[in-house]
Amino acid sequence: MNAMTMPAPERLLDVKGLSIEIDTRRGPATIVDGINLHVNKGETLGIVGESGCGKSLTMLSLMRLLPNKIKVKSGTANFAGRDLLTMSKSELRKVRGGQVGFVFQDPMTSLNPVMRIGDQICEPLIYHKNMKRSDARIRATELLRLVGIPSPAERLDAFPHELSGGMRQRVMIAIGLACDPELLIADEPTTALDVTIQAQIVDLVKELRVKLGMSVVWITHDLALIAGLVDRVAVLYAGTVVEDAPVEELFARPSHPYTRGLLASIPKLSDVAANRLSSIGGTPPEPGRRPQGCPFAPRCQLAEDICRQSVPPLEPLGGSGPHRVACFVAQRQLEAA
Amino acid sequence: MATIPMTPAELDEPKTSLWRDAWYRLVRNKLAIFGLFVIVVLAFAAAFGPYLTPYDFLSQDLNARNASPSLAHLFGTDDLGRDVFSRVIYGTRTAFVVAIVVTAIAVTIGVALGAMAGFFGGWFDRIIMWLTDVTMSVPNLLLVVVINASLKAPLAGWMEAQYLATLNPFFRETIWVDFILVFGSMALISWPPYARLVRAQVLSIRSRPYITAARALGLTTRIILLRYVVPNAVGPLIVSVSAGLGTAMVLESAFSFLGVGVNPPTPSWGNMISDGLRVWQHYPHLLAAPAAVLGLATVGFSFLGDGLNDALNPRGSK
Repeated sequence: MNAMTMPAPERLLDVKGLSIEIDTRRGPATIVDGINLHVNKGETLGIVGESGCGKSLTMLSLMRLLPNKIKVKSGTANFAGRDLLTMSKSELRKVRGGQVGFVFQDPMTSLNPVMRIGDQICEPLIYHKNMKRSDARIRATELLRLVGIPSPAERLDAFPHELSGGMRQRVMIAIGLACDPELLIADEPTTALDVTIQAQIVDLVKELRVKLGMSVVWITHDLALIAGLVDRVAVLYAGTVVEDAPVEELFARPSHPYTRGLLASIPKLSDVAANRLSSIGGTPPEPGRRPQGCPFAPRCQLAEDICRQSVPPLEPLGGSGPHRVACFVAQRQLEAA
Repeated sequence: MATIPMTPAELDEPKTSLWRDAWYRLVRNKLAIFGLFVIVVLAFAAAFGPYLTPYDFLSQDLNARNASPSLAHLFGTDDLGRDVFSRVIYGTRTAFVVAIVVTAIAVTIGVALGAMAGFFGGWFDRIIMWLTDVTMSVPNLLLVVVINASLKAPLAGWMEAQYLATLNPFFRETIWVDFILVFGSMALISWPPYARLVRAQVLSIRSRPYITAARALGLTTRIILLRYVVPNAVGPLIVSVSAGLGTAMVLESAFSFLGVGVNPPTPSWGNMISDGLRVWQHYPHLLAAPAAVLGLATVGFSFLGDGLNDALNPRGSK
């Protein structure tokens, strides 16, 4: 199959060279280092990486929601033809909650405790769609039914503390979906929930994505959880994308040593009980103490001299195709094969 | 024995809200209800008492001076034969007016400055906090005494001069100078605690996830402040206002006692205590009546404040 003849899918979100810095007492330290990411229309992208690798910050920075001491240093984030990072504040407010819905990590603390959930769902509808309160409540009821909350009309008057964690996360998703967004960003939406509820939420988003035809970015550290949900996976390590591939391709042929380590560390039912869980040795570099070359080199068993001297670019494996990897060794192994 | 709920409707908990929960906890607290009762009675006396009392607070009966408590004069009479019961009730009005106006001014200043300092931070925050520190570091009584002693006479003189020059009746009533100076100087020393409290609340609320979530919905700063920040900060403020009203009453009495508050003949608990103190060995009721009512009011506000604190922060109390 020739990649050149296929029509290039339309990019909804295109992030180029995004760098994020934090102000520390020892001066600015880079957390996210020149990330390139894109999301096609109707596509679901999974962003995977361990804690502190910059997954959430990257997504927050796109909505310009970074905390005070953390700033975007460089880069562009093109969304539907406009740069999110430089657009005016009033334009940005229309994108937030209107064209881009956001679902946060912790449903326990991400809802306003003194406001009825119906009012919280109505808020973006009244603000972005100029709906009347009564119309917004009808729409809110529909949304609650859509996300699978029983007797939605009665639940409108509930306060967040009257709902369980799974229910609250469904409410968060309903708020995120309120204005028919083109893109839904879900920042570890299942981390605070137990396993059965996690599966329910994943199934819910999977179903809604098809029903509403939107793009989804799902941030997680749990590769196995999203295997059935996403079309493509970007693996983040220390603020850089180290591998970016369609999901089947990634599971079939993980090429970056870090991705392989991640996949190997998922426990399997067939594992002998006495065996220790496998893990990747060492810890990720602290911000401000990044190694000169590949950020993974200090932990990598395959690292060579070149890895410690220069940063490997993210390039298509074997010269073309959708599977891209930032690793000198992986690229050379493929050429040799 | 309690019956086991069987139908779905019975199994559902009754509809609750933050405020309804707090109200249930409050009515279960006997001390708080006692405080609330005292305050309601005193507020009633302040509002309608002067129309119900048997005597005018100024009418003198020189044949019945320093009379002991009797059915005709419940709390007796003072050295000019004025009915102490009527005067105490009128003093309740003075105390409530001063407490409410002073607290309202102080809370308005405190909440506005504190909320902005907390939300915007930076140099604005630093200036406001510096201002509260400076205000709190000056001895309260001294500041009020200085303001009243140095401004009251010139201001009253200026009003009189204006009246003589313009004959505008607005300038004739110098009693307002009294009140404005008392309100102003007391509010001036009362706002910093409110500013600090609200600032601390806003600082902690500002970084909560639901504020980020609200910003991610594209809501404006104004809506976020009014609908998300302030409602979540209001619980501790209610507690503090309840206690603050009691404090303001004590403060008013203290200043009247020292002669820098409300001037005679307007009755105030403070100046009645001050008068009664001179003769208490002979006529103890002249001291006891206003002092007891002041004590009761203070206890009432403080019990209600404690009760509100427990009701609004249920986790902190048990």
